[in-house]
Amino acid sequence: MSIVRINVGPVHPSTHGVIRLVVDVDGDTVVNIEPHIGMLHRGVEKLAETRMYMQIPPYTEKLDYMAPMSYDEAYVATVEAAMNITVSERAQYVRVILLELQRIASHLLSVGFFCNDLGQMFTGFMWAFKDRDIILDLLQEAAGSRMFYVNMRLGGLREDLPADFEDHVLQTMNYMEKRIPEYVNYLEKNPVFIERTKGVGVLTREDAKQLGVTGPVLRASGVNYDVRRNNPYYVYSKLQFTPKVLQEGDNFARYKVRMLEIQESIRLIRSAIKLLPEGDAKGLPIKLRSPNPVNRISIVNRELPRGECMMYLVADPQKPYRLSIRSPNFINLAAINHLAKGGRFADLFSTLGSLDLVMGCVDR
Amino acid sequence: MKIERENLMSTVSRMKSEGFDYLIKITAVDYADHIDAIYLLRNFESSKDEVIEVSLDPSDLWLPTVINIHKSADWYERELSEMFGIEIKGRHAPRLLLEKWDGTEFPLRKSFTWGAQYKTKDEIK
Amino acid sequence: MNVTAANSFFNIPYWMGSGNIVSNLVGIVLYLVVVSITFSIFGYTVGWLERKIIARVQNRHGPTYVGMWGLLQNLADLVKLLAKEDVIPANADRMLFSASLPLLLALSIFIILLIPYSPTLQATNLGFGLLIIFTIMSFFPLLIFTAAFSSGNKFAEISAQRSVLVLLGYEIPILLVIAAIAAMSGGYNLSSIVGMQAGLHYLAFLMPIGFIIFYISMLAEFERPPFDLREADSELIAGWLTDVSAPSYALALFLDYARMFLGSVIMAILFFGGWNGPAFIPPFFMLVIKALLISFSIIIVRATTFRMRMDRALRLGWVFLIPLSLINIVITYLLFVK
Repeated sequence: MSIVRINVGPVHPSTHGVIRLVVDVDGDTVVNIEPHIGMLHRGVEKLAETRMYMQIPPYTEKLDYMAPMSYDEAYVATVEAAMNITVSERAQYVRVILLELQRIASHLLSVGFFCNDLGQMFTGFMWAFKDRDIILDLLQEAAGSRMFYVNMRLGGLREDLPADFEDHVLQTMNYMEKRIPEYVNYLEKNPVFIERTKGVGVLTREDAKQLGVTGPVLRASGVNYDVRRNNPYYVYSKLQFTPKVLQEGDNFARYKVRMLEIQESIRLIRSAIKLLPEGDAKGLPIKLRSPNPVNRISIVNRELPRGECMMYLVADPQKPYRLSIRSPNFINLAAINHLAKGGRFADLFSTLGSLDLVMGCVDR
Repeated sequence: MKIERENLMSTVSRMKSEGFDYLIKITAVDYADHIDAIYLLRNFESSKDEVIEVSLDPSDLWLPTVINIHKSADWYERELSEMFGIEIKGRHAPRLLLEKWDGTEFPLRKSFTWGAQYKTKDEIK
Repeated sequence: MNVTAANSFFNIPYWMGSGNIVSNLVGIVLYLVVVSITFSIFGYTVGWLERKIIARVQNRHGPTYVGMWGLLQNLADLVKLLAKEDVIPANADRMLFSASLPLLLALSIFIILLIPYSPTLQATNLGFGLLIIFTIMSFFPLLIFTAAFSSGNKFAEISAQRSVLVLLGYEIPILLVIAAIAAMSGGYNLSSIVGMQAGLHYLAFLMPIGFIIFYISMLAEFERPPFDLREADSELIAGWLTDVSAPSYALALFLDYARMFLGSVIMAILFFGGWNGPAFIPPFFMLVIKALLISFSIIIVRATTFRMRMDRALRLGWVFLIPLSLINIVITYLLFVK
């Protein structure tokens, strides 16, 4: 059979945003994939050079619109590192709680989308969406907004947690703990799900390192690295965090790592709330003039839901000289050709779903 | 760690054999009189990061490719050459990575400006 | 073949073979009215039920605004679809592309006329009714193939290849199960198959393997999940319907429910005793109730399952269903025929 070149996207039901894949197909086998990116390129790195320090969080947040709080925090932490600002004990705990809540929301969405990419009639997606909404309610309580928070300030947060927030979080965590086994039963007892995910899109440990993938994709391939454990920030070292690592490296392992991380996040939130100290979590208010940076170059690594983000900041007074963002999705997407080549055409989309891409983050 | 461009490939491959086998990112900073290309490498065993800086003269902008040592360098190098105009020698780039781009100006260079630029109080003075 | 033999073979009903013209006409008109009303109402209700049931499975409400419980939502959608322009893509084969969908619907309606709905409500009572139904049904994938290839779209092209592969994989098990049923009833006459299942001697209980094979193959035949490979929306956008514009798409949706009606009625007749049931329920309604229940099960399958991959679906067909259906024939022969 001759090779057929198919254009998938930029508008396609399962490309998770505007990405265009030029796929060469031989019968039902994928021969080559050429991802075309850049359709959501907003030049955030360049824009950052023209804005003052605390004008930038709204931009960085919109990179990963499925987990904005994480990017918000990663950027603010970079500026804090440049200005040598320490975060108060309580604010550290509050940030950990909010980040882990954001991680649960993001991973739920990823699992839901993954069901969709496997050709399900939106059932897993809707379940996940509903549960994600409950988490978003909590984040709204803390930050005042559902989607884009701009909640982090230098040295703390915009506002301290509202009263009763801890109780609400604990209630939600109890609910989530009941829901997770339902997802696991529903998905992992389905023979078609197992058949479509196990042994599909395999990424070995060596290839994972070579291709530079990060986050759940890296851990599903057996590399035991999580910034929260290996390079701990805030209070993660006190909360006895253990990364979830699987060896298989296939689509199922990537899904499973996310499921296990949700459970780990629930545990982290519980223990963080137990240890939450009294005090003030409020950070510096945004003023026309921010403190001057002390360090010229600061590098900050953060474990976002989709992988490791690294911000490289060259600081000028009042505004960044250069902000370079290492986006986890960018490098995960670069691995798609290796993952889906030689596989079935149908598996291309489930593999793409298992990478959990957000195109805003890829293009920056 | 600051190194010369000539030693880049040998340094990166030596570090790979020493355990720095994960390329986090290749990026660059335009300091007007010179451009710094920055390679960030990681050792998973000791969870240590290493920063390699290569200083480039704007009149002689090119870098040897490290794609044979780290496959993940592929997209980073392409992004670098589109955003900074640094020519990557020794590799084949099939097309522009970020599209709709004529390739005459390089957006992340400091010389690239557009429309209304926001100025801080100090700069206005 | 003389006339009486032909008459008994075709089993032409009394009101068509003899009697005066007026009573013939009244009979034909009555039949057409009843069947078309049932067919439309069934199709519409199943369309609404599908949206509602899937919504409930997914913690949603489904349509609520238009009409009571959103009953008129599908009608509103239909009006919207029909109001749009019918675009035929430039590189499509105009004639084939515009003819395939109406032809598909015409074939479905033809089959609907061949089905007996009660001892009295039937257009014809052919001796080889079952055989001709499945002969016509095996044209569906071919017509889908034509529609897909004539649209000139690459996604449709993949979908066309898949439809032929499904034809190869799942027609054979269906025909083998039908052979077992025919062996049991001693012919291909649908009425006598129903008559054989009087009491609770439903074939679904007597021939469970055959029923399961038939159910799975019918899902594949009518592109219901997990075999919606031809319309795989997350891979092929809409498969063979990718380039079909709104009014034709409305036709395709209607066709979807027409085929669902067909499939569930045939399954009710072959495996659940057709119109047999308690005496207080009219036979015709008994059949419709059974068909509705079968449709319900198909909808639930759609709401919960994932799509199979093409090679896996074919493997299921060739490696499991065909040998199983052969075993089914042997078991049926040993237990009931011999």
